[in-house]
Amino acid sequence: MSNTPLLQGIDLRKTYHLGKTEVPVLHGASLEVQRGDWITVLGSSGSGKSTLLHLLGGLDRPDKNSGEVLFHGESVWKKTNKEINEYRNSDIGFVFQFYHLLPELNVFENVLLPAMIGGRKTNNDMARERAASLLTRFGLDHRMLHRPRELSGGERQRAAIARALVNKPEVLLADEPTGNLDETTGNEILDVLQGLHQDGLTIVMVTHEQQIAERGNVVIQLRNGVV
Amino acid sequence: MSRVIPLIAIAAVGLCVALVIVVVSVMTGFLDMVQSAGKTLMGDVIITYGVSGIPHYDTLVEKLEEDPSILAATPIVDGWGLLRMPYPDSDAKQSETVQVWGIDPDSFTQVTGFNDSLHWKTSSKQQLDWLLFDAINKNASAILQTMSDEKQQLLIDTIGGARSTMNYQFTDLWSAMEAQLSDKQWELVKAYDERLQNPEKVFAQGLSLSRNGKAGIVSGLHVSDGNERQQDGSYAVIRNDHWWMPRFEGTLTMLPIASDGGLIEPESIIMPFTNEFQSGVFLIDSSRIFVPIETAQQLLHLDKAELVDNDDPTVVVGVDPARATSVLLCGADGVTADALQLIAAKVYDEFRETLRGSTTVMPPSRGDPSLSIHTWKEQQKSFTGPVEKERELMRTLFSIIYLVVAALILSIFWAIVFEKTRDIGILRSLGASRAGIVWIFLRYGGIIGVLGSLLGLLIGWLVTKNINEIHAAMGAPPIAIAIGAFVVSVASLWVVVVRGRRGEILPIVVGMLSAITFGGIGGIVLFVRSQGGIVIWDASVYYFSVIPNNIDWPSASFTLVGAVLFCLLGAVIPAAKAADTDPVKALRHE
Ligand SMILES: Nc1ncnc2c1ncn2[C@@H]1O[C@H](COP(=O)(O)OP(=O)(O)O)[C@@H](O)[C@H]1O
Ligand SMILES: [Mg+2]
Repeated sequence: MSNTPLLQGIDLRKTYHLGKTEVPVLHGASLEVQRGDWITVLGSSGSGKSTLLHLLGGLDRPDKNSGEVLFHGESVWKKTNKEINEYRNSDIGFVFQFYHLLPELNVFENVLLPAMIGGRKTNNDMARERAASLLTRFGLDHRMLHRPRELSGGERQRAAIARALVNKPEVLLADEPTGNLDETTGNEILDVLQGLHQDGLTIVMVTHEQQIAERGNVVIQLRNGVV
Repeated sequence: MSRVIPLIAIAAVGLCVALVIVVVSVMTGFLDMVQSAGKTLMGDVIITYGVSGIPHYDTLVEKLEEDPSILAATPIVDGWGLLRMPYPDSDAKQSETVQVWGIDPDSFTQVTGFNDSLHWKTSSKQQLDWLLFDAINKNASAILQTMSDEKQQLLIDTIGGARSTMNYQFTDLWSAMEAQLSDKQWELVKAYDERLQNPEKVFAQGLSLSRNGKAGIVSGLHVSDGNERQQDGSYAVIRNDHWWMPRFEGTLTMLPIASDGGLIEPESIIMPFTNEFQSGVFLIDSSRIFVPIETAQQLLHLDKAELVDNDDPTVVVGVDPARATSVLLCGADGVTADALQLIAAKVYDEFRETLRGSTTVMPPSRGDPSLSIHTWKEQQKSFTGPVEKERELMRTLFSIIYLVVAALILSIFWAIVFEKTRDIGILRSLGASRAGIVWIFLRYGGIIGVLGSLLGLLIGWLVTKNINEIHAAMGAPPIAIAIGAFVVSVASLWVVVVRGRRGEILPIVVGMLSAITFGGIGGIVLFVRSQGGIVIWDASVYYFSVIPNNIDWPSASFTLVGAVLFCLLGAVIPAAKAADTDPVKALRHE
């Protein structure tokens, strides 16, 4: 059991349907993520990086009769709906290119949101403490009560990372987290991820830039729907 | 999403709820008023035999009053008649078809609210002056005889002057006469009319249906056109109390009922008016008069008579007892009308049993289809039935408003779900369950429903409570409303001009609409004022002089719960659509 990968994608296929035309994106992509890895997936735009990450994160279902996503060796898509929600909520943390913070909540509430959704099992006070300490760590303690639209791109992305981590996930999935930022700010975000990785967090990040991909300790190329 | 939309939704739900509450409350209040006002002059149960009246009714009344669950019983003789009144002051006297109720005032007061319904509790100074004026004129020769020439002239001048001024203003004839008449003359005058000795006597005269020893009439307040209703609901008598009915006498003509159904010569009698009554039901107040039961029996030939042989009218074969067309009952405390109805039927049977063998004129058996024993509610059915049906119809029609509420919430929420697709996708990607998403929207719909209902209750309550004031204001809308509306209208036009120069379209459209709306409101107010106000609630149409202003709480709570439920119903479809949002598609949705 000790060498069971933390997260594993086996022969993943994904085909989109545009009316009657089929758009195959992934043709059997496989990858293994061991605890403590920082894997970066490098692929050109439209190569299916986001699709791959959505499959790993339990947001989207691979094609029928194709491969599987295993978390701790258990098939994610054989879980019940409730278990899938829990998987999304606390087993993994997702960071998006466009931050995807809720505009009506302030930064603190946004960060706390996964803990609120997780509800019953998370202790309220502990979650609040953790959200506050994450924001402090990312230099956002003075921004806690601001709305996302009052924040810069880099601040928003740091808030999004804090949100992804609030339920202590075992893996962080990051979809081009710097894709929408200038180089300096992007590097700041990558430094944050590096710090988290050094603290032992497992990260899977996708990007289309070679330079950024090199920040990870394992670089995988995604081309023609396979890795 | 703009914060205005939920507020508009709350306001819209509130207005719907308020509308239902106001309309149903007024209709229910109206119904209650019809029923209870009718009851005040009817008692709890009424035994009727209209064809030829119930013989030996005094025995029946006695038997009924022996029963412990019956508080009192009273006989009635009712029929239609023609009442000729002194008003107006020309040859074309007012004649009204009236429903004549012959009553025994003592027992009638015990069974009904007759004493409370009497309108004149005392005589006003103005009325006393008119009574004094009449008394002096009637006793003029006796008074003048004992006076010196000088005093005579003064008295004639004073009375002559009063004749023309009293119609328009209070002349205080009383003080003038106190100065001119001697004690003896005063006594003579006062002896002519009991009310001059005691102004409150008018009430007692009404209660006993007799004036200065003569059997008299108590007529409905709307029978004479000399009584005019004021805007505040009080009554004033035309020409400074000149046409105060208790001053005068009227001629009552009735068509007797022939036992063989044939026509008999009409009977007439001249009687003084003693007082007037107001039940609150226009239909009754405009057509009913009370007279002593003996008078009605005489006029209708229902009084005691000798029975003669058919072949030889000179041979008396028996006595035909006096008859009453109805007997009214009032139950003891805690006895329902329905229970009383059964008891009355039982007592009626016993009454017939005791008469058996002792009389040749038997009262009708209960099998007779013309004999009825009804509760006041049943008796009122023909009157309240249509109103009740109307209310049910209204309720049904108004339940359509719930569909409006549901459609409103549905469309608003549908738009919200569409606008919020990305955020819903985010929630789903963070592990929110479908049920969790549904719950968010249902809770939101529920909050709008509850707040809207509370707002509606508040508006409905305020409108219903003040409906008479609002109605009065509509009759004479304050000029301030027109001025305010025109100011807003002009301000809107100003906005149109200023913002229009910047080329913005929305302020122009909104400004124009606002200018037209408020200009229209101002115009309507001015128009209504120029017409001297509009009267929507006409007492002669709606039977009541005031609009009922009590909230019908059972219906109101029903409406509130309904509004919340239909808000939830409107929210449930958008909520389900939201729950089915595919997180990936939603996140790609820009
Ligand atoms: N819902 C969809 N329907 C059809 N085609 C899609 C859909 N989502 C993604 N695609 C297509 O799949 C391909 C891969 O998309 P994506 O995974 O977003 O690539 P990447 O993240 O590497 O840029 C693209 O060509 C995209 O147009
Ligand atoms: Mg992508």
